[in-house]
Amino acid sequence: MNAAQQAQDEPDLAIRARGLSRRFGPYLALDALDLDVPERQTYGLLGANGAGKTTFIRLVTGFLLPSAGSITVQGRSPATDPSAVQAGLGFVMETSRLYEELRVRAFLRFCGGARSLAGAELDTAIDASIERFRLEPVADRLIGNLSKGYQQRVSLAQAFLHDPPLVIVDEPTSGLDPVQQNEVQELLLGMRGSRTILLCTHDLHEARSLASRVAVLNAGRLVAEGDTAEILGRDDALSLFRELPGGSPT
Amino acid sequence: MRPLLALVRKEFQSLFGAPTAYLTLTMVALVTALIFFDHLRLYNQVLFLYATSTMYGFDTDAVPDYVNLWDSVFFPVMETLGLTLLGAVPLITMRVFAEERSRGTDELLVTTNLTPTQIVLAKFLVTFAFIALTLSVSFVYPAAAIEQGGLGMLHLSAVFSGLLLLGLAIGSVGLVCSAFTSSQLVAAVSGWAVAFVLWDFSWANAFLDEGTAAFLEQVALHPRFGSFSEGIVRLENVVYFAAFALVAMALARFSFDLRRVGA
Repeated sequence: MNAAQQAQDEPDLAIRARGLSRRFGPYLALDALDLDVPERQTYGLLGANGAGKTTFIRLVTGFLLPSAGSITVQGRSPATDPSAVQAGLGFVMETSRLYEELRVRAFLRFCGGARSLAGAELDTAIDASIERFRLEPVADRLIGNLSKGYQQRVSLAQAFLHDPPLVIVDEPTSGLDPVQQNEVQELLLGMRGSRTILLCTHDLHEARSLASRVAVLNAGRLVAEGDTAEILGRDDALSLFRELPGGSPT
Repeated sequence: MRPLLALVRKEFQSLFGAPTAYLTLTMVALVTALIFFDHLRLYNQVLFLYATSTMYGFDTDAVPDYVNLWDSVFFPVMETLGLTLLGAVPLITMRVFAEERSRGTDELLVTTNLTPTQIVLAKFLVTFAFIALTLSVSFVYPAAAIEQGGLGMLHLSAVFSGLLLLGLAIGSVGLVCSAFTSSQLVAAVSGWAVAFVLWDFSWANAFLDEGTAAFLEQVALHPRFGSFSEGIVRLENVVYFAAFALVAMALARFSFDLRRVGA
């Protein structure tokens, strides 16, 4: 039975990874990861810097190919059918990875067009996104002139524009001030339950308030997985993030 | 098709949303105009000297055939315009892919459901359109003058087509260099270097055997422009430039695959 068939047999999984490894030269960024992300939940992917979170996200989006193992996203393989996977996902990257020379509305029009939205459908989606993420005051301003908080809202708006069943959010509050962090977290809380959100963060407070389940990566390995309160409530929770005795796998 | 058009539109907005495009357009137009008017000034001086040297007043019959608008002004200006393209086009192409990589928006592009082929196609189309615009702006003065000189629109069209194809070939080189790096400086310098090497191999004839020299002559960019400047559009030269652009597109597309596998 191949990975895609197995995923079809388990329809409640948004992401399913089995023995997933990714190597960059001698460095093993992900080491035989087995992970199931259930549908319609906010799932936290935790880990210190360099734990393998971003590599995992890039394997989910099809931006990178796995060195070994398999991964399916909503039953499809991002390695062999990236377009089908990307059609059903939204991706919020870290702040400032936007086209700063574009105005907010023009940027959203581009993102919608690139996802095959057009005409009245595109106009409606843009207006709804601007309203949902409270972007009305800056809709006609250049993205480069916006505060980091507004830029992150623009990033969220483009990810939710086409109403995808899976949204990946990478370090959504990184570099934001406390007020902006709170605003972004409130927006994400409002989305909870309506779709699968894969929240990639190293902020434990953020994971506690947003995620219902979490997985902790350390040096490319899965070191804990389960209910958020259970994993992060452990006395030795912080030790999950400390360097493994063996160091980084190579 | 819709995602491709969305990206083409976005690329135009990004291109004209930054000062580089306007600076490049102005610089090329200015350099061409200066070179053109300088040649025209020299031509008029020579013409005047010949015409007044007969002692019988102004007599244009005294002007030899080789002193003409074509050989004295148009052809040298076109040659210089080709070299100007060599200098200016890598400045246009350097940001196209490299900037996306350096600011991380290439990941956004790929995850908005655009295929790498669509991304490459859109970026090549927009860059080619900008090169055509740059050339059109620069071509106005010499074209107007030579049209007055009775060269004919067909001949002018052939010269413009040759210059355009040459510009697109240099642009293709620049785009490939931009696709394999995240540094705009590296993209520009490598674009200049590769285009300069491919420009002409005749200097190396003395060191090479006949077969290699003949092969390199076929590969070089500048000799292909020669027939166009004479007003002759040879199918083999058009095919050469088209193949050149297609190979460049394939290489730029390959850069995406290489990144996915990434060592």
